[in-house]
Amino acid sequence: MLKANLATRVKQKWTTKRRLSKIRYMVLGREINQGLIFKLALYSVLIITSYIYMNPIIKMLVKMVMSIKDLIDPTVMWIPSSIYLGHVAEAWKLLDYPKSLAVSLFIAVTAAVLHCIACGLAGYALARLDVPFKKTAFFLVISAFIIPPQVIILPTIMAYTELGLNGHLLTLILPSVFGFGVKGALFVIIFRQFFLTQPKALEEAARIDGANALKFYARVMFPLAKPAILVVFLFSFVWTWNDTYYPRMFLGASDNMPLALKISYIDRNLTAFIQEGGFPEFLAEPIKMGASFLVILPPLLIYLFAQRYFVESVERTGLVE
Amino acid sequence: MAGKRILSARTSRKLEGTLFMAPWLIGFIAFLGFPLLFSLYMSFHQVKILPKRIVYDFVGLKYYQEILFNSSALYDQLIPYFQEVVIMVPVIVIFALMIAIMLNQKLPGRFVFRAIFFLPVIFSTGAVLMSFMNQGEGNLSFLERYNVGGYIDMFLGDNSWAKPVKQVMNHFVLVLWYSGVQILLFIAGLQTISSSAYESARIDGATPWEVFWKITLPAMSPFILLNLIYTVVDMFTFPSNPVITLISTGNYGYNSAMAWIYFLIILAFLGFVILLYGRINRKYAKSDRG
Repeated sequence: MLKANLATRVKQKWTTKRRLSKIRYMVLGREINQGLIFKLALYSVLIITSYIYMNPIIKMLVKMVMSIKDLIDPTVMWIPSSIYLGHVAEAWKLLDYPKSLAVSLFIAVTAAVLHCIACGLAGYALARLDVPFKKTAFFLVISAFIIPPQVIILPTIMAYTELGLNGHLLTLILPSVFGFGVKGALFVIIFRQFFLTQPKALEEAARIDGANALKFYARVMFPLAKPAILVVFLFSFVWTWNDTYYPRMFLGASDNMPLALKISYIDRNLTAFIQEGGFPEFLAEPIKMGASFLVILPPLLIYLFAQRYFVESVERTGLVE
Repeated sequence: MAGKRILSARTSRKLEGTLFMAPWLIGFIAFLGFPLLFSLYMSFHQVKILPKRIVYDFVGLKYYQEILFNSSALYDQLIPYFQEVVIMVPVIVIFALMIAIMLNQKLPGRFVFRAIFFLPVIFSTGAVLMSFMNQGEGNLSFLERYNVGGYIDMFLGDNSWAKPVKQVMNHFVLVLWYSGVQILLFIAGLQTISSSAYESARIDGATPWEVFWKITLPAMSPFILLNLIYTVVDMFTFPSNPVITLISTGNYGYNSAMAWIYFLIILAFLGFVILLYGRINRKYAKSDRG
């Protein structure tokens, strides 16, 4: 009787212990980074950080749609009482949106396509072909990445003036024909890293067949490099789109301004207008925010669709190997 | 006969390589090599633009002397900006590493966070960031609440670092926005560490803290260097970079000298980063052996 009682008690103790450790494992995890508590902590850190990270953008979106009444009202911080699109419309007019958008699109798409072609050739040569002084050539690519644009901008402007190109949109596209322009050297490196990961047997087969190298590249290697092309295209597009430095230096106050440049002019004009007293400052802010939104909208839309490629890009191209 | 054919095959291969490389090399000369040397040439000359031609009068080191000894641009704008960069670069790289380590955990929904942290790369247009900065967006509100600025004044006082530190704090979030690409590089780097290394460390009873210092960090060190360099290069076009407005088409000689001083500071900076990295790496390797 006593013995049996003891046995059940021992058994009970064991089961509770096992159950307890089961719960413990679930909460704390077998390893520190597997438990529920760890995951909760991680989520909260990530959510708080992303909130802080995204705060300026959320504020921008809110301010953009606030009506004048909401802007004056100090109790309205986050949720506007109604959605007012007047500021965005005003920004649309000031930006001359359809025209500037077309200019921006033209420059960014052309530069991206040209980058894919020119940087692909150089990257392929550096990865797979027999280039004399290859190490020096690669060193040149790295130095092209490191040289700040500010050092070379004045002679470039002078050369463009000499050629009579100053203020022409061509000034922004010409460098990318040769694989320069916004971060061109980086794209050469991306292509090189990608082609390095491809099997060597491909070229050997082509060589035995006696195929022409350029033809072989165009027919086989370039189509093979789809992940790298996608990455270079997307990054080149976005960075060229966002670049304000080259347009400001090369175009000056020309008629055809890309969006990224136009918005800085708006900024200046509005500030001058405020200083003259033509406009209270709290009214200019939502217009600026609306303009910002219109400028970043197209790349944002592209990002929504191609997000996966952007984010997985680095692994796909083997950039890190 | 046979020897000649092999030679010609090799030369033809070299020719092919050169052909592929040629467009880029031509571009290098036209858009980088020549302008670089020409701006160096101009920095020693007074450039006069006449209606028909441009006259270059040799002035020696005059502009360099002027900038180094009696200009406010270098000491009031460039140097403080570099002080800001000295603060921003480690902040960005450490932040990117932390986020990458968190996102590398097997966490449901990590892809959403990955997308969020990359988002600023999409819209970091100079002008947009500038208008955020001018409106005081991107500061950390909790720093203001606890009057951290006051503490900085107390600790640093009249030190030349007080202003750069405050500047960085004022647009801290926008500084962090420059970490999108670095996070991707770190995540890709973290995935090259084999899981067996972690497993064996666990079996040996290492705490996560030790695992981080003994396995993760040494394995990440090449990526840290890569990201340091990338971040420094990325800062060239940071919207508050004074060089963007300092170098304009006015006084070509003077501005070229300014550009070259800026370039030399950057080179010294990168050299310092690489040297420091080598030092630390060697020390690490030694202490591991010991």
